[in-house]
Amino acid sequence: MSTAERLVFEHVTKRYPGTGKNYQGAVEDLTLEVPAGKVCVLVGPSGCGKTTSLKMVNRLIEPTSGRILIGETDVAKQDVIALRRGIGYVIQQVGLFPHQTVAENVATVPRLLGWDESRRRARAGELLELVGLDPARYADRYPSALSGGERQRVGVARALAADPPVLLMDEPFGAVDPIVRERLQNELLNLQERIARTILFVTHDIDEAIKMGDLVAVLQVGGRLAQFGSPDEILANPASEFVARFVGADRGLKRLALSRVADLTLQTAVTARAGTDAADAKRRASADPLPYLLVVDERDRPLGWLDQRVIPESGALDPTDATPAVPVFDRHTTLKDALSMLLATDVQAGIVVDAAGAVRGLVTAEMIAERMRPGAG
Amino acid sequence: MIDWAWIVDHLDDLAGRAVQHFVLASIAVGVGFLVSMGLAIIAVRRARLRTILVGASGVLYTIPSLALFAALVPITGLSLLTAVIPLTLYTLLIFMRNILAGLDGVAPEVLEAADAMGYSGGTRLLRVELPLALPLIVGGLRLASVSTIGLVTVSGILGDRFGGLGFFIFEGYRRSFPTEIWLGAVPSIALAIAVDLLLVALQRRLSPWASTLPSAGDGAGDGSGEGAGSARQPRLAG
Repeated sequence: MSTAERLVFEHVTKRYPGTGKNYQGAVEDLTLEVPAGKVCVLVGPSGCGKTTSLKMVNRLIEPTSGRILIGETDVAKQDVIALRRGIGYVIQQVGLFPHQTVAENVATVPRLLGWDESRRRARAGELLELVGLDPARYADRYPSALSGGERQRVGVARALAADPPVLLMDEPFGAVDPIVRERLQNELLNLQERIARTILFVTHDIDEAIKMGDLVAVLQVGGRLAQFGSPDEILANPASEFVARFVGADRGLKRLALSRVADLTLQTAVTARAGTDAADAKRRASADPLPYLLVVDERDRPLGWLDQRVIPESGALDPTDATPAVPVFDRHTTLKDALSMLLATDVQAGIVVDAAGAVRGLVTAEMIAERMRPGAG
Repeated sequence: MIDWAWIVDHLDDLAGRAVQHFVLASIAVGVGFLVSMGLAIIAVRRARLRTILVGASGVLYTIPSLALFAALVPITGLSLLTAVIPLTLYTLLIFMRNILAGLDGVAPEVLEAADAMGYSGGTRLLRVELPLALPLIVGGLRLASVSTIGLVTVSGILGDRFGGLGFFIFEGYRRSFPTEIWLGAVPSIALAIAVDLLLVALQRRLSPWASTLPSAGDGAGDGSGEGAGSARQPRLAG
């Protein structure tokens, strides 16, 4: 497998003759660098030049000025045919060849590169597996016999056929229904974990941008870069009024979906094992601001919450009447889900457990709010 | 009514005329196809040239066939050329229209994908555009073949060396002998139908993808196929 390459825009401008600076699709002095193996999403309203920017990479559109580099190589200095064969390309309408089978479609670039029949067939099978289509079932079908979601998967497989270091995706999931889109997005993220290509991804949907991008470039009409950064940076500190309006008034909630419990410094839980001395437990619970004691079993797994006022003064700790030990999070739980669950429970603290189910600490709504405050995190 | 005995006596004659009929039609359709294909490929991306060529072939098509045969006699004499030139010219309009419509019908996203994957112009035409235009091109071939097989009979006006099966029609008419008219008309109709069926079979053979097209549009197909496909999805944990 070839390695991914960085993708660099250096002062790239595209003007259309006889038009002003804010002409639809124009791009003005775009400079950004996508590190190798990262997903960069170009997002913005229609006419902001995002598709133009994408198409300048494989020279379907030639820039008016500026340079685009893949690795260290200026794309303008390469043979255009060779350049395009080395760049994966996925578009919204897919553009599969109706007269070729799925396997032939997938092996398009290998055929152009002169691979022999058996090698092409093997590669097509491998790629269909990769995008979750059974080659035995799909290889010899024609595109007309596929659903929209299946076509888009074949489109992705075709783009990956020659193992390109850079992949261009222009609203790849724009034409499928929301349920299929969500599934395809997740599949692409899983796929990207394995293949780690450098991906330039265009969308007009800020939620898709935040979900798919390691980096997000927000463009505004006239093709000016309004902000470039991680999804969290853009949601936490929008660089301008335009970006703030574009990401939406609910950007705080969107940020919650980007952070996970593991990103927080956990609060220490006051715990006591069932059957141990109740008096000691009551004393320790009373000293803690949280009015609840967390009763655990012999392997520190949560059994239930006990209100410190009902803990007996003596005897053994009995979890029978305890409030159920919910909510339980692991380190991958998003803060959005955590907050949602916290708002629905009696005890305003979530129990964070490790892979073995043992208590590691607590998360409160206050901790989440603190992290989301502007400028924090 | 029909003099069967006369027909049986003239079966050799019939075979010879049928072959001549087929050969004349084939030459005209073949030459017309090659010329049109060349012109269409040159014209497809040149709007002005294209208007001129389609317009010119349309004007040719309006000239009555008898008049055209007659007009050529002073130039090319009573030769094969005189028979074949009009037949060929009449195919141009049919071919030009169908080839251009076929090439126009290739979806823009298919062309964009082809360009983006690194097809050169010529390879794209050969491997993407022409194959996708094939159903309409063969459609033109069918239309041109049937109409040319009909027109070959008219070339009988040039004398008994031409006209294929049309010779019998002219002769039968001249002699007021209906049997001979039938002997020309029925086989020429049969020949047209046979060639048409053969070309339909050829089209199915050459573009199997086109015959599997569902009658309903795409996009709505995301129901059963999607569900069935997803059951096999390998998924990675988190």
